Amino acid sequence: MLQVKNINVFYGRIQVLWDLCLEVKEGEILALVGANGAGKTTLLNTISGIIRPSSGTISFLGRRIDNLPPHEIVQLGISHIPEGRRLFADMSVLENLEMGAYSRGSWKTRQKTLEEVFHLFPRLRERAGQPARTLSGGEQQMLAMGRGLMSKPKLCLIDEPSNGLAPKLVQEVFQIIRSLREQGITILLVEQNVRQTLEIADRACVLENGRIALEGCGEELLKSEHVRKAYLGL
Amino acid sequence: MLTSILDVLIAGLLLGGLYALIAMGLSLQYGVARVFNISHGEFIMLGGMATLTLFTVFKINPLIAIVICGPITFVLGYIIHRTFFRHLLTSLPIFGEITILCTLFLWTVFRILADYNYVRLNQFAALAICLVIAIILDFALNRTAFRRIHESRVAAGVFESTSMLFSFGLMFIIKNIAFIGWGPSIRSYSFLQQPVSIAGALFGMNRLVTLGFSILIGLAFYFFLTRTRIGKAIRAAASDPTVAQLMGVNINQVLALCFGLGAAMAGIAGVLISMCYPVNANMGIEYTIIAIIVVALGGLGSIPGSFIGGFALGIIGSIVSFFEPGLALVAYYFIFGLLLLIRPKGILGK
Repeated sequence: MLQVKNINVFYGRIQVLWDLCLEVKEGEILALVGANGAGKTTLLNTISGIIRPSSGTISFLGRRIDNLPPHEIVQLGISHIPEGRRLFADMSVLENLEMGAYSRGSWKTRQKTLEEVFHLFPRLRERAGQPARTLSGGEQQMLAMGRGLMSKPKLCLIDEPSNGLAPKLVQEVFQIIRSLREQGITILLVEQNVRQTLEIADRACVLENGRIALEGCGEELLKSEHVRKAYLGL
Repeated sequence: MLTSILDVLIAGLLLGGLYALIAMGLSLQYGVARVFNISHGEFIMLGGMATLTLFTVFKINPLIAIVICGPITFVLGYIIHRTFFRHLLTSLPIFGEITILCTLFLWTVFRILADYNYVRLNQFAALAICLVIAIILDFALNRTAFRRIHESRVAAGVFESTSMLFSFGLMFIIKNIAFIGWGPSIRSYSFLQQPVSIAGALFGMNRLVTLGFSILIGLAFYFFLTRTRIGKAIRAAASDPTVAQLMGVNINQVLALCFGLGAAMAGIAGVLISMCYPVNANMGIEYTIIAIIVVALGGLGSIPGSFIGGFALGIIGSIVSFFEPGLALVAYYFIFGLLLLIRPKGILGK
């Protein structure tokens, strides 16, 4: 579904991603784990078009997207739910969700999509008129995910959804991610919460210093000596 | 006594309406497009001078001039953003800039050498040679060193300073073009000057029209921002431009739109100003300063703040003018200084 081939990404003179290759297959949850600064967020930003790779190609459903601006990539069906929620703080919950459906195609069907999102996150319906900044941390994450779903994506890039949430809410977030996959949405999940992520992921990649260090199915990696030592502290 | 207080307050509202309109335009340009537009007043001047010409030469009603000047200043602002500011937004040298700079540099070197008779060559032949060298150099650099940094966006702080400097230059360019076209004389025309009585005080009809339009445009703009798809995109882009892009917003288009709308507000304000006050090609800077003070007073980047701040400053100006007409601008500076000391974020700032 999504093919990343040999991309190199720089911030100014500093190279962040090195000749990186990755493939996301339709209908799976691919987890991307790794330490801080390994380049996980950079990879997502490159896929969604915020950063341009200086070489290499990215293609989505057979179409090259590495030279497209972000707003055209969204229209093709890739939704990026950014790290740290990044809500439009002074806009209401409803307006945040509407912004999620900004693209021409999804704007027309936004009422129907809104019902689906409210069905998935009933709390958002209760809070629809409130400014986004007045929500609790958990509700904000729900809103960020709801907003990301408003564009009716085929592929969802989710960046650290469990960050800063209480354990119970983390469970809930992972539950929702699993249910998204059941609805047919492919997911590329970036997480620091390695154990839980590997449990729900179909496949996973370990990113170290801008390169893929390990790749395999979730359970395989959970058993791997390297992952146990470096990321699970066992 | 009571009537004179009322007089002063109403006069303040009339003045404040103009200030609010001017400041909203700048606030939009700074709050969303991140351009602290020093040339803001020049768009006001363009609106004012154009209306004067339309009225005196072509006998066009100034109220119709609003419909003409608004769209023209909008398009002008939009194009300026799409071309010049767009280049400042992405990292530096673009193809063409190096060509121009290099040509000028090489040609200057040639002329110095020619002055001392080191080279003998026709000036224009030399210019052509310089141009060819510069283009080759530009092309080579673009293919090699600059290729990697192309299209990556510069940091917000960098853009704020470069765009401000650019707008400073733009101010001189627009002003001097206006000088060539209109000359330096101060001119005015009379339009709707019949007096209207409000609560015992007399005001020119033109002043009331001005206030009416300011409020109308303010309200229309408010509904545009809160009710329409593009309006919401503008607010989203003001709050977080990167994430707005992830939602599908074409950020370059929205930023240019904001800059254009700000310019249009300035243009329309210019039309309204010309109905009440004399205009000349040199009037821009004064209004730029007032716009900056109002924007700071209302809270940097807050559009409702600018609206309120405009009226607040208008009333203050009117009160001070009541006692000593020459001191209004002094009072503005005083308020500005006081504000920076006591509440730097302004009335509605965050």
